[in-house]
Amino acid sequence: MKKALTYLISCVFVMAVHGSMLLTVYNNGKYDSVNDVITLSAAVILLDAVYFAIMPLFKQRTYAVDFMLLLILNMSMIFQSCFGGVHFDMKHFITMIAALVSCRIGFMLCRNHRWIQTKKKFFWAGIGILLVVIFLFTGDRSMWIDLGFMSIQPSEFIKPLLVLACATSIGEQQNRHKVGEINIVYDNVIIFGITAVVILFQWWCRDLGSIPTFAAIYASCFFMRICYPKAKFSRKTLIIAGSVVGVAAIAGIILAPAYVKARLFADIWSNPTGDGYQQTKALISIAEGGWFGKGPGYGFLHEVFAYESDIVFATISEEWGLLFAIMTVLMLLLIVAMPLVNPPRSYYHGTMCAGVCAAFTTQMALNIFGSCNMIPFTGVTLPFISAGGSSMVTSGLMIGMIVAAQSPVFTNPKKSKKKGKQKRRTV
Amino acid sequence: METIIYSAALLAICGIVLLFTSYLENRTGEKVWKKVTDNMELADEANIYNLECDEILIGRHAMADIRIQDMSVSRYHAILNVTDGKWMITDIGSKSGVFVNGEAVRHVRLYEGDVITLGNRSLIFRKRVNR
Repeated sequence: MKKALTYLISCVFVMAVHGSMLLTVYNNGKYDSVNDVITLSAAVILLDAVYFAIMPLFKQRTYAVDFMLLLILNMSMIFQSCFGGVHFDMKHFITMIAALVSCRIGFMLCRNHRWIQTKKKFFWAGIGILLVVIFLFTGDRSMWIDLGFMSIQPSEFIKPLLVLACATSIGEQQNRHKVGEINIVYDNVIIFGITAVVILFQWWCRDLGSIPTFAAIYASCFFMRICYPKAKFSRKTLIIAGSVVGVAAIAGIILAPAYVKARLFADIWSNPTGDGYQQTKALISIAEGGWFGKGPGYGFLHEVFAYESDIVFATISEEWGLLFAIMTVLMLLLIVAMPLVNPPRSYYHGTMCAGVCAAFTTQMALNIFGSCNMIPFTGVTLPFISAGGSSMVTSGLMIGMIVAAQSPVFTNPKKSKKKGKQKRRTV
Repeated sequence: METIIYSAALLAICGIVLLFTSYLENRTGEKVWKKVTDNMELADEANIYNLECDEILIGRHAMADIRIQDMSVSRYHAILNVTDGKWMITDIGSKSGVFVNGEAVRHVRLYEGDVITLGNRSLIFRKRVNR
């Protein structure tokens, strides 16, 4: 009864936020016909209602992350449908539904770590297949595969797979093997190798913006391995690992191509119509939007390339105001902070949450600080807010992992038919 | 402009409500966890150890989940696991071994009232006592 009441209250508040935003669109928005606002409202409210009805079919300990996901997704739908004038953005609506479906898949897949740890080789193979696809079907200066009716970014799908690969290897820390003079854990070597190859491929594709995200996933999982009681990491190992990372970072900066160095130390205001075009426009529009924005659809940033993805924070700030844009980002941070309220009960789920949190916060930082000229502009998407199917699906899958960590299952994959007391195996 | 302010305020309230909801659900989750773990705990003469995770390391090491500061206990001595509500104890290469009710074991299921001996220290595996 108490659970039903909290569920109902959450539904009411999520719908109230969407309702108030739609009212803002109706009152302050730029639209040719009121039918555009009605269509958008109907889609948002319908999706809310359908998802609220479906969610209880999945037995979960908590639904808070699902409510936050739906809240953010429909906010994103309203933002994207208002850029440049109110209209119903069908493509974004479809990708949103794909994100919700992939969230459910992530949840079902990751609940039981005893089962998923037996499947870890599939994740390694999955990353390998994606790297082959990148090698064969994308160019050395591209990260997209154009299918004609849609484009896919295969590197996006590596993110959740890398998180899963790291999380499923956490239980192997005790299985040490003596190779020469040193004890090694095979899984650690494999995960390090996979991450290194992925980063090299990103370098080859010139998708340097994604490298910090992969590095952050690996770093968070490495940190979790240090915290893992069985890991037996020595100070020597940690000092060596830290030195290797430091040397690699310095070498990366020194050996970076000229255009990367130019971007690292670029002065956008010296060339506002060239390299600094997007960022200068983004900063001007944030300033023009002020705290409360110009109104949905009244911005000019929609005329700038990648307004709905790379500089989406600035586009929202311009139309809805900096206050609303910051609130949206805070909601995104809240969703990845949920494992602090409901702590995971296993090292596997903890590592998975840490990986997802690292990926999301890095992407958010790169997108927001990049468009505000506080760090070099990378062109990374803002999870759930930016348009893009690949990003939406993978972000949904990763939130599904957090949902799984909130409602874990501790059962053996194959149930033993033997009943009664198990005999003790004595030494 | 006013409607944007109301929307932002409502969004903030919604975030707080969802956070509070999650906290309430976490309290329900504690009951679920008790069911998962059969509401068991470990205790010795001086301490009571709650079993808050599905994999618990017992040892002398500072990072151990249950730290026993006794030189007869190895740094990484034994691991407790729970699956399907059943607790298992595994010796992970300790020097002095793991004994359950006086019997040396490597990997065994634990039952209520079992006495686990690690080095010179003994722990009792029992139902959680209401405190």
